[in-house]
Amino acid sequence: MTADIEIRNVNKHFGAMAVLEDLSLSIKAREFIVFLGPSGCGKSTLLRMIAGLETVDSGEIAINNERIDHLPPGKRGVAMVFQSYALYPHMTVRDNLAFGLENIGMSREVIDARINEAARILEMPHLLERKPGQLSGGQRQRVAIGRAIVKEPKAFLFDEPLSNLDAALRTRTRLELAQLHQRLQSTMIFVTHDQVEAMTLADRIVVMNNRRIEQIGSPMEIYERPATKFVAGFVGAPAMNFVEATLDRSAENAAARFADGVSVQTEIVSNQLSDCKHTFGIRSEDVRIVAAGQGNADGVVEVLERLGERTLVYARLGDGQQIVGSDAGNSRIAVGHKVGLAFDGQKSHLFDESGRAWHAREA
Amino acid sequence: MSAPAVSIKGRAFGDHLLLALVILLSIVMIAPVLWVIGLSLKDNAELMADPNSVFHAPYTLKNYINTVGTSSVFIWVRNSIIVSGGLTLGTLILSSLAGYGFARLNFPGRDVLFVIVLFGLAVPEQAVLVARHQIFSVLKFHNTYQGLILPGLSAPFGVFLMTQYFKAIPKELDEAAMLDNAGRFRIFWKVLLPLTLPAQATLGIFTFLGAWNDYFWPLISATKKDMFTLTVGMASTQTNFAQSEGIGFLMAQAVFAGAPILIFYLFFQKYIVTAVSGAAVK
Repeated sequence: MTADIEIRNVNKHFGAMAVLEDLSLSIKAREFIVFLGPSGCGKSTLLRMIAGLETVDSGEIAINNERIDHLPPGKRGVAMVFQSYALYPHMTVRDNLAFGLENIGMSREVIDARINEAARILEMPHLLERKPGQLSGGQRQRVAIGRAIVKEPKAFLFDEPLSNLDAALRTRTRLELAQLHQRLQSTMIFVTHDQVEAMTLADRIVVMNNRRIEQIGSPMEIYERPATKFVAGFVGAPAMNFVEATLDRSAENAAARFADGVSVQTEIVSNQLSDCKHTFGIRSEDVRIVAAGQGNADGVVEVLERLGERTLVYARLGDGQQIVGSDAGNSRIAVGHKVGLAFDGQKSHLFDESGRAWHAREA
Repeated sequence: MSAPAVSIKGRAFGDHLLLALVILLSIVMIAPVLWVIGLSLKDNAELMADPNSVFHAPYTLKNYINTVGTSSVFIWVRNSIIVSGGLTLGTLILSSLAGYGFARLNFPGRDVLFVIVLFGLAVPEQAVLVARHQIFSVLKFHNTYQGLILPGLSAPFGVFLMTQYFKAIPKELDEAAMLDNAGRFRIFWKVLLPLTLPAQATLGIFTFLGAWNDYFWPLISATKKDMFTLTVGMASTQTNFAQSEGIGFLMAQAVFAGAPILIFYLFFQKYIVTAVSGAAVK
């Protein structure tokens, strides 16, 4: 089973405080969609509204063209995996999985068949007679997913389900979730504030900030062509470099000029840009470290982060701004060295005062 | 190396001292019980002649035979079981439902109502005694089981305890159950209530023991001998001590009276210790 989900002009307030404002979104059947954003941006509230755990103040939510925002949670045909797993502690794993099916009057044979199938998929038949207190965090996670699977829902909702796992287990579970999606071909909505989870799992990412959607797009769209300065800064580690700049729009493509006179020729068409102040943005991997005097600007190395396959170089420019560049993994640069920074104009971005982004023409 | 050895020795001495203290306290507690049992096994006439005869044979079961045959103690024990059991069951049901309501439901005036319930903790029984007596007279509840049970069902402590316990259960469990298609009562009954068992045990034990030992209200409400609870019944025999059938017979009645609570303790020992220590039952 799978589902198209339509969210139309949804608003939500908690008392006087607006949590979501006029939010609309279409989710296609079989899509793995991730709501990504900082704490308090409204992503979990939106998920809970789809689940029926929060009411909708105004607007509509429909699954397969049928309005569901007035239905109780159990009647919406969705299953949710909670951050805390929310397993019933006094019931065995088998009873946890069976509870929802018993509530709709399903026969014992069908319940057993579904439980056995879910246990097989999640490789946990040996856990069925244990109670949640006897399971590790990862095993509880599996049971929580199993409880969702047995219901054969139209859509799976995940509310930061990996945040309680340690780093190694989180990576493994992430991979398993991706495989599960391929196997079940169900619509899945996943809430996280972790951009790595979003980038690795999503067909499309919905970046949310401050009660509204900033951008919807594939992971690489979001990364390479962020719609706003917020998205550019939120997605990617380390965060994108931002430098205040004035524009030279005399040529076909604009050039960005920093306060200390450094100039970077971009490939962003001049005539679409306004006269207002802009911010120049570029990712660390698009700033190459070269010999001093050989790049667009020179800087003094303050910090080195050796990641193995590359080295992140934090350099201070003459005007006091810090830029993060990228060098080879076995870089011989040391803290205190003066280095040159070569900006890739094709990969640079400009952001106007409203935060809107401008990019080079797509190749 | 010597310092730890001294420390271990010191700790062993402390342990022994503690053990000696525990044994001493146990003797202080158990000695009167053994004394009562000893007296109940002696002939009345012999005890009248020499109270110290309890320490040597002959012993007899005559007092117990007389108790079984003639005493009202069985009726009083039965009354106490009905009253204490009914009160405990009723308190658990009402406190659980009220606690769930206060912890999980949003209704107008909830917080004010909760404060009013808590005010009940500050009202002494004596303050409402006359009014309650009058009401129960009108309702003809005196000398009935409902007359003995109903006043105890207003249990602000129980409501408070259960409210706090329900509040401590994560709301995600309710939400998971809602997504599992469970209705509100099913969530209460199948998901939340089983998780409150430690609190139920604590509340049940305190309520049962309190009801079993209660003397004040049964003394006022139960005036007929066959509606006496054990505490009132036992006191009534002591009032006539000079004319009573003898101290051995009285002690046999006391042993009978204490037996149910002893059995109760044996069954719920783990929970009673936990309840008294205030820790959660694992």
